[in-house]
Amino acid sequence: MSWRVRIVHTTGYRYELPVTQSYNEARMTPRADRRQNVVVSRVETTPATRAYRYTDYWGTEVTSFDLHAPHVELKVVASSVVETGAEEEPVRTASWTDLRADALLDRYTEFLDWTGYVPRDRELAAVARGLKRGLGPADAVLAASNWVHEQLTYQSGTTGVHSSATDAWQAREGVCQDFAHVTLVLLRAMGIPARYVSGYLHTKPNGAIRETVRGESHAWIEAWTGGWWGYDPTNGIPVGPRHIWVAHGRDYADVAPLKGIYSGGASSALDVTVEVTRLA
Amino acid sequence: MLHMTHIRARTSGLRRTPARAVARLGELFDGYLEPTRPHADAYDEMFEEDSSVRSAYRTLYESIAPSRVADLTARAEALDRAFVDQGITFSLSGQERPFPLDLIPRVLTASEWSKLERGIVQRVRALEMFLADIYGDAQIVRDGVLPRRLITSCEHFHREAALINPPNGVRIHVAGVDLVRDEVGTFRVLEDNLRCPSGVSYVMENRRTMARVFPDLFARHRVRSVGDYAVHLLRALRNAAAPNAADPNVVVLTPGVANSAYFEHSLLARQMGVELVEGRDLFCRDNLVYLRTTEGERQVDVIYRRIDDDFLDPVHFRPDSVLGVAGLLNAARAGNVVIANAVGNGLADDKLVYTYMPEIVQYYLGEKPLLPNVDTFRCWLPEECAHVLDHLDELVVKPVEGSGGYGIVFGPQASVRELNGLRRTIKANPRGWIAQPVVQLSTVPTKVGDRLAPRHVDLRPFAVNDGNSIFVLPGGLTRVALPEGSLVVNSSQGGGSKDTWVLAPRSSTVDRELAEPGLKMAAVESPAAEQGPELTTSQQQQQQQQQSGKGA
Repeated sequence: MSWRVRIVHTTGYRYELPVTQSYNEARMTPRADRRQNVVVSRVETTPATRAYRYTDYWGTEVTSFDLHAPHVELKVVASSVVETGAEEEPVRTASWTDLRADALLDRYTEFLDWTGYVPRDRELAAVARGLKRGLGPADAVLAASNWVHEQLTYQSGTTGVHSSATDAWQAREGVCQDFAHVTLVLLRAMGIPARYVSGYLHTKPNGAIRETVRGESHAWIEAWTGGWWGYDPTNGIPVGPRHIWVAHGRDYADVAPLKGIYSGGASSALDVTVEVTRLA
Repeated sequence: MLHMTHIRARTSGLRRTPARAVARLGELFDGYLEPTRPHADAYDEMFEEDSSVRSAYRTLYESIAPSRVADLTARAEALDRAFVDQGITFSLSGQERPFPLDLIPRVLTASEWSKLERGIVQRVRALEMFLADIYGDAQIVRDGVLPRRLITSCEHFHREAALINPPNGVRIHVAGVDLVRDEVGTFRVLEDNLRCPSGVSYVMENRRTMARVFPDLFARHRVRSVGDYAVHLLRALRNAAAPNAADPNVVVLTPGVANSAYFEHSLLARQMGVELVEGRDLFCRDNLVYLRTTEGERQVDVIYRRIDDDFLDPVHFRPDSVLGVAGLLNAARAGNVVIANAVGNGLADDKLVYTYMPEIVQYYLGEKPLLPNVDTFRCWLPEECAHVLDHLDELVVKPVEGSGGYGIVFGPQASVRELNGLRRTIKANPRGWIAQPVVQLSTVPTKVGDRLAPRHVDLRPFAVNDGNSIFVLPGGLTRVALPEGSLVVNSSQGGGSKDTWVLAPRSSTVDRELAEPGLKMAAVESPAAEQGPELTTSQQQQQQQQQSGKGA
């Protein structure tokens, strides 16, 4: 069963003093693949500017733009209509032995290596050893994700955009970014290639057609156990028709939705709003 | 200042049979072939083992050997004066000194050079294809020739540069390939420098000064010219521009006067007749790059940058950099400006990647490398690492990234404590280290006190790729280790340089260096002021980034 959804994602910055130069990159365009079809998508800014689009190393569609007229607020609106896929099933074709093959380790080296957000962690490595015992790789992914779902409390404000998995684990709470990062630490410690996925979530499991809900900018994980498949550790649910994916990478740093530099004084982030409407 | 490679003398080992008729060499060479000298195992570029003079140096030897010590001293003073008069000095520990150019040139025959030239051209061609591939489809990885993790673990592999295609396909506009000559006289590649290789200004200045002080020597040799380097560089930069830039605007981007190579930046800009600019002189708008001038904005098509990738564009690299230009990388991605050398070239400078050059040359060109590497052990391969750890006290251990002899440890000279520390460092990060046997670098007669003595040298030739052909400046920078039996030497530690002569083949019509008495040069500023960079700018660059996750 697949859904057709419209997403309107609004974000940006407010500045204390007028900014005269600002260079930004938005990674806010949903990707098309076998399970997801992008009907239409665009990224608009206020003040208006000429955008340049390119595909980055990870295959993410990037919208780059710069502003040169004085402005005290930058608003970025990404809107799209996407047909999502059915619920993803775990792929069970690879064994632990397969995952230890050198060719495989080399092929997925970037999704097995530690990063700033997904660092080596002794304690979590011990947890990973316990969780995988007696399970095949795919079930170990489910066990790790569900364990994180149970252990961490969803709480915004404790962790920030720069918090690593270790920070979140020590606080035992965080947001979806943290849930995803902690799960990635467990999976990579198990030797399962795993990547970070950014996207959106329709918050209602049985969303009514034409009803606009306040959705979420979201993050989950994908693991390779003979094929890539996703799982949502924040909610402890499979990735399904409510999940709209935008980008994947080693961690948050590879897929940050909006980043840039500007000249001027202090800034504060505008409230992020994501409106998701199920169209069909 | 120039970064000098390590040059080492082995103090033990086989001794050659004493050379005969030492006295015949003349008073300047007194003791030169003394069999107990610490350089005795090295290949001497002037003398054969039987103390006869090699063909390259015959004329030079005949000119110099009869000289008296007093003549040598007089020439040396003239040389120093020539540099001071021109304002070219070199700052050593805060003191301005004459630039350390040795009196005796290093000479390469036409056939030695043509072999080197072919080897360098082959190497640059292969490296161009390698960089294009890695920042594109990475076919060499897909074909299993190189492991993916070799690339992804490289500090200077910049994913930000993926899928950027320069208009004429050139990424290595300038290459500096460091060569050494081993015990039997074979040239070997020590490292590649494809980021911002420096030193070509010394090649040009050394030649101008030598021509002034030794017009008689140039009259007796057919020395190939190095004076047209800037012509080749400018052609390469103009060719690199997007096809619709009819009269491409080229600039040289420097970090500023505080940079040790500022002299070179200004010299090249002046010789090419293009603007020398700093980051704050440029800005990007809608993916076009402009130069601020007194007559308004002028679009820039090609930037010969002498700033490291990390500082080039705060949008993609260090956000606190004020040396670069925000938006530059995407302007290059859009094809509106060419960054020379290309972003991400440091991948090929990695000394672990270097060990795969035979595979790289074979894969892209179907050829064997004409220039061999120095034998290298890779600490990231467990068997080779075990060997390195067992033989630390015999090997030269080097970090895979960085240049200029930084971080190099000479096993034979290190204390037990240092070796133990090194062992831990390597075990903690095997990817970060390689090891090589101690190479006896070749020697060339060098003025030491009032005599000529053998001193170790290396060579950095410069290659320029204009998209149609690869030009190698005849010669290059010869760096010489002045202290007897010295270790890591660079010009900041009392190293010197030599004018490097490539002799023209007898039949050729190639440009020849004429010892014109009228050779003049403009007075130039001294290179490195001892002051900090002027980075006061009202611009405050901040990184703006925000939380994605407000998830359910």
